[in-house]
Amino acid sequence: MTTAALIHVVVSGLATGFIYALMAISLVIIYNATRTLNFAQGEMLMISTFVGWAVYQRAKLPLAVVMLIAVVAAALLGWAIERAIIRHAIAATHFDVLIITLGLSLMLRSAAGVAWTHDDFPFPSFFGDRPMAVGPVRLAPVSLGIIGASLALMAALWVLFTRTRLGRAMRAVAQNQRAARLMGISVERVYSASWVLAAVVGAIAGVLIAPVIFLSSKMGIVVINGFIAAVLGGFGSMPGAVVGGMLLGVIENLAPLYLPSSIKHSVPFIMLIVILLIRPGGVVGRVARRKV
Amino acid sequence: MRRAALAIGALALLGWPWVAPSYFVFLASLIVVNAIVAIGLNLLSGYTNQLSFGHAGFLAVGAYTAAILATHWPGAPVPVTLLAAAIVTALVGLALGVPCLRLEGLYLAMATLAFGFVVVEAILNLDGLTRGNDGLRVPPARLGAWALAGDVERYYLVLLVGAVMVWAALNLARTRTGRALLAIRESEIAAQASGVHLARYRTLAFVISALYTGVAGGLFAFVVGFLSPDAFDVFLSVDFVAMIIIGGLGSVPGSVAGAAVLTVLHDSLAGLQNYRPLIFGAILIASMLFMPGGIASAARRISAMAGYPDSGPPSRPTIQGDHA
Repeated sequence: MTTAALIHVVVSGLATGFIYALMAISLVIIYNATRTLNFAQGEMLMISTFVGWAVYQRAKLPLAVVMLIAVVAAALLGWAIERAIIRHAIAATHFDVLIITLGLSLMLRSAAGVAWTHDDFPFPSFFGDRPMAVGPVRLAPVSLGIIGASLALMAALWVLFTRTRLGRAMRAVAQNQRAARLMGISVERVYSASWVLAAVVGAIAGVLIAPVIFLSSKMGIVVINGFIAAVLGGFGSMPGAVVGGMLLGVIENLAPLYLPSSIKHSVPFIMLIVILLIRPGGVVGRVARRKV
Repeated sequence: MRRAALAIGALALLGWPWVAPSYFVFLASLIVVNAIVAIGLNLLSGYTNQLSFGHAGFLAVGAYTAAILATHWPGAPVPVTLLAAAIVTALVGLALGVPCLRLEGLYLAMATLAFGFVVVEAILNLDGLTRGNDGLRVPPARLGAWALAGDVERYYLVLLVGAVMVWAALNLARTRTGRALLAIRESEIAAQASGVHLARYRTLAFVISALYTGVAGGLFAFVVGFLSPDAFDVFLSVDFVAMIIIGGLGSVPGSVAGAAVLTVLHDSLAGLQNYRPLIFGAILIASMLFMPGGIASAARRISAMAGYPDSGPPSRPTIQGDHA
């Protein structure tokens, strides 16, 4: 295997990794606010990408507008789900809410199948498909595009979380809900904002990945890899989510080169089990001690 | 009163093949198989707060063990095949349960989810034994020279095994082990303080749960007669979790009720293929919002209103998150 080919594999692994990282971030945003895992995250991503695609089919708008429409649809969906269902279960155990999001994911997937069938659809890409040559290395523009767009989105999120009132409120709620409430933060608004923000991040990831994996009602399954990425980095930590996503994407792409190629689909799960066994707090995280 | 109800129930179950068409006999067998899995899962989730999204994986291990044994040893008597399925699955449960001791809540759910995926991949890759995606045809269960080839024979086999498993689960709660498991459910710290070896009993719960699911897997192989890896996907694991949620966590009758409701629901919505998950998801959400505690606690409330003394476990168990 030449170095150039190796770099190609690593770069496309990084591109996949950035998508996993975005999924992981959207899961962590909701987890930090409401302490629940949103099983429907992948299906929310799928629905908003489908909405963007449906508009594109009708009106042939520029892709930037399509992405904007997908983002708005995601924001509305996230807001509606939180207000209509999740808010009512706020007193329930986290396990109950987990089951509710599980039910939601079944419903959304089925609804998408009813509206758009369960077929695969090609999705237009922002980026050309002619490989770009950087010295001896050939890189797919779509990989570089995904990496660039994800980095821009992550930078925007960083600004949001460190420089704005809303972002600080969200971090405060993540740390200590009661204290946040005593400081005058509306915890309910943070719940809403978290679901909307997570849905928006998911929608952008969806529009970026759809040209690569095709648009279909089954694409929401990517959320599992997003979760694994979040665990690899240390669940609850944003930088951890990014590191975990990179690790997962690159290793998943490299593994078939050195191991039997049939192992590729098992790689994320084997990594999950291994990391949970040797370092349950994740690569960058620390183990949370449970208090009596 | 109770005895009479039990006797009527037993008669109804035994007489079912005489009154019902053969498809409904098959459906009843499937309900019993699912009920055994639900009881097994409930012993793990309802008794020791360990949630598993990987029971389809255990079911697959049991089913393929029984099927492969029956294929390679044509005369194998059915108790031997079922026992083999139980033992192999219990060993797999032990292998997964020991490392999973360190995990709880969400993490455990995800590790077991991963286990389910790995099992399906393993079935696909071991195609010399399992025939991979082509699927494996299961020869009929045998008892000596007698082949249990019809729906009715299989129904009685499943019913007999199911009755033993239900009886064992009901009695487990009265044994030292059962009490230890319940103590862990109520409070791990209090249980430890009373001398319950936490790691040992949590592992034991995993092994018993896997054993139940392995037996169910063996029966499943004979009832369905054809195995392919896509039957054991993550949605099946989700179904099992839904059964114990809708039926009632920590309740054996609840597990059976949940299994019956979901199996019948799945079957009756088969014509509405596209809308099935939609309705199914809505039921899941509605039962979480409006009927926490499942059928078991709803039944308890109704019988309390009717003036019967409360006979079930007192409180609704909850599964704690990792940040309790």
